[in-house]
Amino acid sequence: MKFECGDLERALAVSELMPEAREHLKHCAACRREYRLWNEISNTAKLLHEDWETPDLWPNIRKAIEAEAQPRSRPVWTKWQIWAVAATLVLAAALFFARPKTPAPETATSGNRDFLTEQALHEVEANEAAYRRSIEKLSQLAQSKLKNLNPATAVNYREKLLMLDSAISDTRASLDHNRFNLRLQMDLAGLYREKQQTLEELLTRDQKN
Amino acid sequence: MVWEIGLPLRFAANLPQNPTDAELVGECRRGNLRAYERLYELHAARMKSIAFHLLGSRADAEDTVQEAFLKVYKALNGFEGQSSLSTWIYRILINCCYDAMRKQQRLAEQPARREMAAPGEKPNLKLALKAALSRLNDRQRIVFLMFEVEGLKHSEIAAVLEVPEGTSRSWLFEAKRELKRMLMETAT
Repeated sequence: MKFECGDLERALAVSELMPEAREHLKHCAACRREYRLWNEISNTAKLLHEDWETPDLWPNIRKAIEAEAQPRSRPVWTKWQIWAVAATLVLAAALFFARPKTPAPETATSGNRDFLTEQALHEVEANEAAYRRSIEKLSQLAQSKLKNLNPATAVNYREKLLMLDSAISDTRASLDHNRFNLRLQMDLAGLYREKQQTLEELLTRDQKN
Repeated sequence: MVWEIGLPLRFAANLPQNPTDAELVGECRRGNLRAYERLYELHAARMKSIAFHLLGSRADAEDTVQEAFLKVYKALNGFEGQSSLSTWIYRILINCCYDAMRKQQRLAEQPARREMAAPGEKPNLKLALKAALSRLNDRQRIVFLMFEVEGLKHSEIAAVLEVPEGTSRSWLFEAKRELKRMLMETAT
Protein backbone atom coordinates (compact mmCIF):
# COMPACT_ATOMS: atom_id res chain seq x y z
CA MET A 1 0.00 0.00 0.00
CA LYS A 2 1.26 3.43 -0.90
CA PHE A 3 0.99 5.68 2.16
CA GLU A 4 -0.40 9.15 1.43
CA CYS A 5 -0.97 12.27 3.54
CA GLY A 6 -4.67 11.42 3.91
CA ASP A 7 -3.74 8.13 5.59
CA LEU A 8 -2.05 9.78 8.58
CA GLU A 9 -5.17 10.01 10.75
CA ARG A 10 -5.97 6.37 10.08
CA ALA A 11 -2.44 5.47 11.07
CA LEU A 12 -2.84 7.37 14.35
CA ALA A 13 -5.89 5.27 15.12
CA VAL A 14 -4.51 1.93 13.91
CA SER A 15 -1.07 1.34 15.35
CA GLU A 16 -0.26 -1.33 12.70
CA LEU A 17 0.03 1.46 10.13
CA MET A 18 2.58 3.43 12.13
CA PRO A 19 5.73 1.91 10.54
CA GLU A 20 4.52 3.02 7.10
CA ALA A 21 3.46 6.39 8.51
CA ARG A 22 6.94 6.94 10.01
CA GLU A 23 8.49 6.25 6.65
CA HIS A 24 6.16 8.81 5.06
CA LEU A 25 6.94 11.39 7.76
CA LYS A 26 10.60 11.37 6.78
CA HIS A 27 9.70 12.96 3.44
CA CYS A 28 6.55 15.01 4.22
CA ALA A 29 6.94 18.21 6.25
CA ALA A 30 3.18 18.87 6.46
CA CYS A 31 2.46 15.45 7.95
CA ARG A 32 5.45 15.85 10.28
CA ARG A 33 3.91 19.08 11.61
CA GLU A 34 0.56 17.36 12.05
CA TYR A 35 2.13 14.38 13.80
CA ARG A 36 4.14 16.66 16.10
CA LEU A 37 0.97 18.54 17.02
CA TRP A 38 -0.79 15.23 17.73
CA ASN A 39 1.89 14.32 20.25
CA GLU A 40 2.07 17.83 21.69
CA ILE A 41 -1.65 17.70 22.46
CA SER A 42 -1.07 14.75 24.77
CA ASN A 43 2.07 16.26 26.31
CA THR A 44 0.47 19.66 26.86
CA ALA A 45 -2.72 18.11 28.23
CA LYS A 46 -0.82 17.04 31.34
CA LEU A 47 -0.18 20.71 32.10
CA LEU A 48 -3.90 21.40 32.09
CA HIS A 49 -4.43 19.69 35.45
CA GLU A 50 -5.89 22.51 37.48
CA ASP A 51 -4.87 22.67 41.12
CA TRP A 52 -5.70 25.38 43.59
CA GLU A 53 -5.97 25.75 47.34
CA THR A 54 -9.41 25.14 48.79
CA PRO A 55 -8.97 25.34 52.55
CA ASP A 56 -12.72 25.67 53.13
CA LEU A 57 -13.85 22.81 50.94
CA TRP A 58 -13.29 19.86 53.29
CA PRO A 59 -14.62 21.76 56.36
CA ASN A 60 -17.73 22.63 54.34
CA ILE A 61 -18.20 19.03 53.22
CA ARG A 62 -17.66 17.83 56.77
CA LYS A 63 -20.23 20.31 58.08
CA ALA A 64 -22.73 19.17 55.46
CA ILE A 65 -22.12 15.52 56.37
CA GLU A 66 -22.51 16.26 60.07
CA ALA A 67 -25.76 18.11 59.40
CA GLU A 68 -26.96 15.19 57.31
CA ALA A 69 -26.00 12.70 60.03
CA GLN A 70 -28.06 14.38 62.77
CA PRO A 71 -30.23 11.71 64.40
CA ARG A 72 -33.65 11.83 62.90
CA SER A 73 -36.68 10.09 64.28
CA ARG A 74 -38.05 8.75 61.06
CA PRO A 75 -40.53 5.95 60.94
CA VAL A 76 -39.58 2.92 58.91
CA TRP A 77 -42.59 2.04 56.80
CA THR A 78 -43.77 -1.49 56.81
CA LYS A 79 -45.48 -3.17 53.88
CA TRP A 80 -48.97 -2.90 55.34
CA GLN A 81 -48.44 0.82 55.97
CA ILE A 82 -47.47 1.33 52.33
CA TRP A 83 -50.64 -0.45 51.27
CA ALA A 84 -52.70 1.66 53.70
CA VAL A 85 -51.28 4.87 52.25
CA ALA A 86 -51.82 3.61 48.71
CA ALA A 87 -55.43 2.71 49.50
CA THR A 88 -56.04 6.14 51.05
CA LEU A 89 -54.50 7.69 47.98
CA VAL A 90 -56.75 5.79 45.62
CA LEU A 91 -59.82 6.70 47.70
CA ALA A 92 -58.86 10.36 47.86
CA ALA A 93 -58.16 10.41 44.13
CA ALA A 94 -61.53 8.80 43.44
CA LEU A 95 -63.28 11.43 45.55
CA PHE A 96 -61.32 14.19 43.89
CA PHE A 97 -61.90 13.15 40.31
CA ALA A 98 -65.41 11.70 40.63
CA ARG A 99 -66.90 14.57 42.59
CA PRO A 100 -70.59 15.32 41.85
CA LYS A 101 -71.04 17.85 39.12
CA THR A 102 -72.99 20.68 40.78
CA PRO A 103 -74.98 22.58 38.18
CA ALA A 104 -74.23 26.28 37.85
CA PRO A 105 -76.79 28.51 39.58
CA GLU A 106 -79.54 30.00 37.47
CA THR A 107 -78.32 33.46 38.30
CA ALA A 108 -74.90 32.80 36.81
CA THR A 109 -74.05 35.25 34.10
CA SER A 110 -72.34 34.31 30.85
CA GLY A 111 -69.13 35.81 32.23
CA ASN A 112 -68.79 33.26 35.04
CA ARG A 113 -69.92 30.12 33.15
CA ASP A 114 -66.46 28.62 33.58
CA PHE A 115 -66.44 29.09 37.32
CA LEU A 116 -67.35 26.62 40.01
CA THR A 117 -70.02 27.39 42.52
CA GLU A 118 -68.92 28.04 46.09
CA GLN A 119 -70.35 24.69 47.28
CA ALA A 120 -68.62 22.65 44.54
CA LEU A 121 -65.43 24.57 45.17
CA HIS A 122 -65.57 23.66 48.83
CA GLU A 123 -65.84 19.97 47.91
CA VAL A 124 -63.00 20.22 45.42
CA GLU A 125 -60.77 21.98 47.93
CA ALA A 126 -61.52 19.47 50.67
CA ASN A 127 -60.83 16.55 48.33
CA GLU A 128 -57.72 18.20 46.97
CA ALA A 129 -56.40 18.68 50.51
CA ALA A 130 -56.96 14.98 51.26
CA TYR A 131 -55.36 13.99 47.97
CA ARG A 132 -52.41 16.28 48.66
CA ARG A 133 -51.87 14.78 52.11
CA SER A 134 -51.89 11.28 50.62
CA ILE A 135 -49.34 12.29 47.98
CA GLU A 136 -47.16 13.85 50.67
CA LYS A 137 -47.13 10.50 52.48
CA LEU A 138 -46.18 8.81 49.26
CA SER A 139 -43.39 11.41 48.82
CA GLN A 140 -42.01 10.51 52.25
CA LEU A 141 -41.81 6.88 51.22
CA ALA A 142 -40.12 7.86 48.00
CA GLN A 143 -37.38 9.82 49.82
CA SER A 144 -35.85 6.71 51.36
CA LYS A 145 -36.14 4.88 48.03
CA LEU A 146 -34.37 7.76 46.26
CA LYS A 147 -31.37 7.41 48.57
CA ASN A 148 -30.84 3.85 47.42
CA LEU A 149 -31.18 4.48 43.72
CA ASN A 150 -28.43 4.84 41.15
CA PRO A 151 -27.39 8.54 41.57
CA ALA A 152 -28.10 9.45 37.93
CA THR A 153 -31.59 7.97 38.10
CA ALA A 154 -32.21 9.59 41.48
CA VAL A 155 -31.22 12.98 40.05
CA ASN A 156 -33.68 12.55 37.19
CA TYR A 157 -36.49 11.69 39.59
CA ARG A 158 -35.57 14.55 41.91
CA GLU A 159 -35.57 17.00 39.00
CA LYS A 160 -38.92 15.79 37.74
CA LEU A 161 -40.45 15.93 41.22
CA LEU A 162 -38.99 19.40 41.79
CA MET A 163 -40.41 20.56 38.48
CA LEU A 164 -43.83 19.14 39.36
CA ASP A 165 -43.74 20.69 42.84
CA SER A 166 -42.80 24.01 41.32
CA ALA A 167 -45.66 23.78 38.78
CA ILE A 168 -48.09 22.72 41.55
CA SER A 169 -46.95 25.62 43.69
CA ASP A 170 -47.38 28.09 40.78
CA THR A 171 -50.83 26.76 39.93
CA ARG A 172 -51.91 26.89 43.56
CA ALA A 173 -50.64 30.48 43.78
CA SER A 174 -52.71 31.37 40.70
CA LEU A 175 -55.71 29.65 42.26
CA ASP A 176 -55.34 31.77 45.39
CA HIS A 177 -56.14 34.77 43.20
CA ASN A 178 -58.95 33.04 41.37
CA ARG A 179 -60.34 30.13 43.36
CA PHE A 180 -63.29 29.58 41.01
CA ASN A 181 -61.28 29.00 37.85
CA LEU A 182 -62.17 25.52 36.64
CA ARG A 183 -59.30 25.30 34.18
CA LEU A 184 -56.73 25.96 36.89
CA GLN A 185 -58.40 23.35 39.11
CA MET A 186 -58.15 20.83 36.28
CA ASP A 187 -54.49 21.75 35.66
CA LEU A 188 -53.77 21.24 39.34
CA ALA A 189 -55.49 17.85 39.31
CA GLY A 190 -53.42 16.86 36.26
CA LEU A 191 -50.20 17.86 38.01
CA TYR A 192 -51.12 15.85 41.11
CA ARG A 193 -51.92 12.85 38.91
CA GLU A 194 -48.53 13.17 37.23
CA LYS A 195 -46.78 13.41 40.61
CA GLN A 196 -48.67 10.37 41.91
CA GLN A 197 -47.69 8.33 38.82
CA THR A 198 -44.05 9.43 39.14
CA LEU A 199 -43.93 8.49 42.82
CA GLU A 200 -45.60 5.13 42.17
CA GLU A 201 -43.17 4.39 39.35
CA LEU A 202 -40.26 5.32 41.64
CA LEU A 203 -41.53 3.14 44.48
CA THR A 204 -41.93 0.11 42.26
CA ARG A 205 -38.49 0.42 40.65
CA ASP A 206 -35.88 -2.25 41.29
CA GLN A 207 -33.01 -0.97 43.39
CA LYS A 208 -29.63 -1.00 41.74
CA ASN A 209 -26.23 0.35 42.47
CA MET B 1 -43.37 1.29 65.49
CA VAL B 2 -39.75 0.86 64.45
CA TRP B 3 -37.69 4.04 64.43
CA GLU B 4 -34.55 4.56 62.40
CA ILE B 5 -31.91 6.59 64.19
CA GLY B 6 -29.06 8.22 62.22
CA LEU B 7 -25.64 6.69 62.92
CA PRO B 8 -23.50 8.86 65.20
CA LEU B 9 -20.36 10.19 63.55
CA ARG B 10 -17.02 9.21 65.03
CA PHE B 11 -14.57 12.05 64.85
CA ALA B 12 -11.25 10.55 65.84
CA ALA B 13 -11.68 6.90 64.97
CA ASN B 14 -8.59 5.03 63.81
CA LEU B 15 -8.01 4.15 60.20
CA PRO B 16 -5.51 1.67 58.73
CA GLN B 17 -2.39 3.21 57.14
CA ASN B 18 -3.36 2.32 53.58
CA PRO B 19 -6.99 1.27 53.76
CA THR B 20 -8.49 -0.81 50.99
CA ASP B 21 -11.72 0.26 49.29
CA ALA B 22 -13.66 -2.20 51.42
CA GLU B 23 -12.08 -0.89 54.64
CA LEU B 24 -12.80 2.71 53.66
CA VAL B 25 -16.41 1.93 52.78
CA GLY B 26 -16.82 -0.02 56.02
CA GLU B 27 -15.40 2.84 58.10
CA CYS B 28 -17.50 5.43 56.26
CA ARG B 29 -20.60 3.35 56.88
CA ARG B 30 -19.72 3.22 60.57
CA GLY B 31 -19.71 7.02 60.50
CA ASN B 32 -15.92 7.44 60.71
CA LEU B 33 -15.33 10.98 59.49
CA ARG B 34 -11.60 10.31 59.15
CA ALA B 35 -12.46 7.77 56.45
CA TYR B 36 -14.42 10.40 54.53
CA GLU B 37 -11.53 12.77 54.89
CA ARG B 38 -9.24 10.09 53.43
CA LEU B 39 -11.61 9.72 50.49
CA TYR B 40 -11.44 13.46 50.06
CA GLU B 41 -7.64 13.49 50.20
CA LEU B 42 -7.43 10.70 47.64
CA HIS B 43 -9.81 12.09 45.07
CA ALA B 44 -10.59 15.77 45.62
CA ALA B 45 -7.70 17.19 43.55
CA ARG B 46 -8.61 15.22 40.43
CA MET B 47 -12.30 15.82 40.99
CA LYS B 48 -11.79 19.59 41.25
CA SER B 49 -9.73 19.63 38.06
CA ILE B 50 -12.26 17.58 36.09
CA ALA B 51 -15.15 19.70 37.35
CA PHE B 52 -13.23 22.89 36.56
CA HIS B 53 -12.67 21.88 32.95
CA LEU B 54 -16.28 20.83 32.53
CA LEU B 55 -17.83 23.85 34.22
CA GLY B 56 -15.32 26.56 33.41
CA SER B 57 -15.07 28.14 36.85
CA ARG B 58 -13.35 27.25 40.10
CA ALA B 59 -16.31 28.31 42.23
CA ASP B 60 -18.67 26.01 40.30
CA ALA B 61 -16.11 23.21 40.46
CA GLU B 62 -15.85 23.50 44.25
CA ASP B 63 -19.63 23.56 44.67
CA THR B 64 -19.97 20.50 42.46
CA VAL B 65 -17.24 18.54 44.25
CA GLN B 66 -18.92 19.35 47.56
CA GLU B 67 -22.25 18.17 46.19
CA ALA B 68 -20.65 14.99 44.86
CA PHE B 69 -19.11 14.14 48.24
CA LEU B 70 -22.43 14.70 49.95
CA LYS B 71 -24.10 12.37 47.45
CA VAL B 72 -21.37 9.81 48.09
CA TYR B 73 -22.14 10.04 51.80
CA LYS B 74 -25.87 9.64 51.23
CA ALA B 75 -25.53 6.81 48.74
CA LEU B 76 -22.77 4.85 50.45
CA ASN B 77 -25.15 2.35 52.00
CA GLY B 78 -26.30 1.43 48.51
CA PHE B 79 -22.74 0.91 47.20
CA GLU B 80 -22.45 -2.79 46.44
CA GLY B 81 -18.85 -2.84 45.29
CA GLN B 82 -19.68 -3.89 41.73
CA SER B 83 -17.26 -1.21 40.54
CA SER B 84 -14.25 0.22 42.36
CA LEU B 85 -14.91 2.95 44.89
CA SER B 86 -13.05 5.57 42.84
CA THR B 87 -14.98 4.66 39.68
CA TRP B 88 -18.22 5.03 41.60
CA ILE B 89 -17.17 8.39 43.06
CA TYR B 90 -16.13 9.75 39.63
CA ARG B 91 -19.43 8.56 38.16
CA ILE B 92 -21.27 10.55 40.82
CA LEU B 93 -19.05 13.57 40.12
CA ILE B 94 -19.69 13.39 36.37
CA ASN B 95 -23.45 13.22 37.02
CA CYS B 96 -23.21 16.24 39.32
CA CYS B 97 -21.25 18.06 36.61
CA TYR B 98 -23.94 17.21 34.04
CA ASP B 99 -26.55 18.67 36.39
CA ALA B 100 -24.47 21.80 36.91
CA MET B 101 -23.93 22.13 33.16
CA ARG B 102 -27.68 21.89 32.58
CA LYS B 103 -28.20 24.64 35.16
CA GLN B 104 -25.54 26.75 33.45
CA GLN B 105 -27.26 26.25 30.10
CA ARG B 106 -30.57 27.25 31.64
CA LEU B 107 -29.00 30.41 33.03
CA ALA B 108 -27.20 30.95 29.71
CA GLU B 109 -24.12 32.07 31.61
CA GLN B 110 -21.70 29.48 30.30
CA PRO B 111 -19.87 31.56 27.67
CA ALA B 112 -19.49 34.50 30.03
CA ARG B 113 -18.12 32.43 32.90
CA ARG B 114 -15.52 30.42 31.02
CA GLU B 115 -12.02 31.47 31.93
CA MET B 116 -10.38 31.87 28.52
CA ALA B 117 -7.46 33.70 26.98
CA ALA B 118 -7.93 37.45 26.75
CA PRO B 119 -8.98 38.74 23.32
CA GLY B 120 -6.05 39.74 21.13
CA GLU B 121 -3.62 37.67 23.19
CA LYS B 122 -1.52 35.29 21.09
CA PRO B 123 -2.23 32.01 22.81
CA ASN B 124 0.51 29.52 23.50
CA LEU B 125 -0.32 25.86 22.99
CA LYS B 126 -1.56 25.37 26.56
CA LEU B 127 -4.00 28.27 26.35
CA ALA B 128 -5.06 27.32 22.85
CA LEU B 129 -5.63 23.73 23.93
CA LYS B 130 -7.63 24.87 26.94
CA ALA B 131 -9.83 27.02 24.73
CA ALA B 132 -10.22 24.26 22.13
CA LEU B 133 -11.08 21.76 24.85
CA SER B 134 -14.00 23.89 25.95
CA ARG B 135 -15.41 23.61 22.41
CA LEU B 136 -15.46 19.81 22.32
CA ASN B 137 -18.70 17.98 22.89
CA ASP B 138 -19.24 16.70 26.44
CA ARG B 139 -18.34 13.05 25.93
CA GLN B 140 -15.13 13.84 24.05
CA ARG B 141 -14.16 16.44 26.63
CA ILE B 142 -14.78 14.11 29.57
CA VAL B 143 -12.76 11.26 28.05
CA PHE B 144 -9.91 13.57 27.05
CA LEU B 145 -9.83 15.13 30.53
CA MET B 146 -9.87 11.84 32.35
CA PHE B 147 -7.29 10.13 30.12
CA GLU B 148 -4.88 12.83 28.99
CA VAL B 149 -5.17 15.39 31.79
CA GLU B 150 -5.91 13.26 34.86
CA GLY B 151 -4.23 10.03 33.80
CA LEU B 152 -7.08 7.57 34.27
CA LYS B 153 -6.92 4.31 32.29
CA HIS B 154 -9.41 3.47 29.55
CA SER B 155 -10.73 0.62 31.70
CA GLU B 156 -11.45 3.09 34.52
CA ILE B 157 -13.01 5.68 32.21
CA ALA B 158 -15.17 3.01 30.61
CA ALA B 159 -16.40 1.96 34.06
CA VAL B 160 -17.12 5.55 35.09
CA LEU B 161 -19.07 6.31 31.92
CA GLU B 162 -20.60 2.83 31.73
CA VAL B 163 -19.48 2.32 28.13
CA PRO B 164 -17.27 -0.37 26.56
CA GLU B 165 -13.51 0.26 26.74
CA GLY B 166 -13.35 0.49 22.93
CA THR B 167 -15.87 3.33 23.05
CA SER B 168 -13.67 5.22 25.48
CA ARG B 169 -10.69 4.77 23.10
CA SER B 170 -12.76 5.84 20.14
CA TRP B 171 -14.08 8.98 21.91
CA LEU B 172 -10.52 9.90 22.88
CA PHE B 173 -9.36 9.54 19.29
CA GLU B 174 -12.27 11.70 18.09
CA ALA B 175 -11.43 14.28 20.76
CA LYS B 176 -7.76 14.47 19.74
CA ARG B 177 -8.62 14.63 16.04
CA GLU B 178 -11.04 17.48 16.73
CA LEU B 179 -8.52 19.30 18.93
CA LYS B 180 -5.83 18.91 16.26
CA ARG B 181 -8.20 20.34 13.65
CA MET B 182 -9.06 23.32 15.85
CA LEU B 183 -5.43 24.00 16.75
CA MET B 184 -4.34 23.82 13.11
CA GLU B 185 -7.07 26.31 12.22
CA THR B 186 -5.87 28.60 15.01
CA ALA B 187 -2.29 28.34 13.74
CA THR B 188 -3.19 29.36 10.17
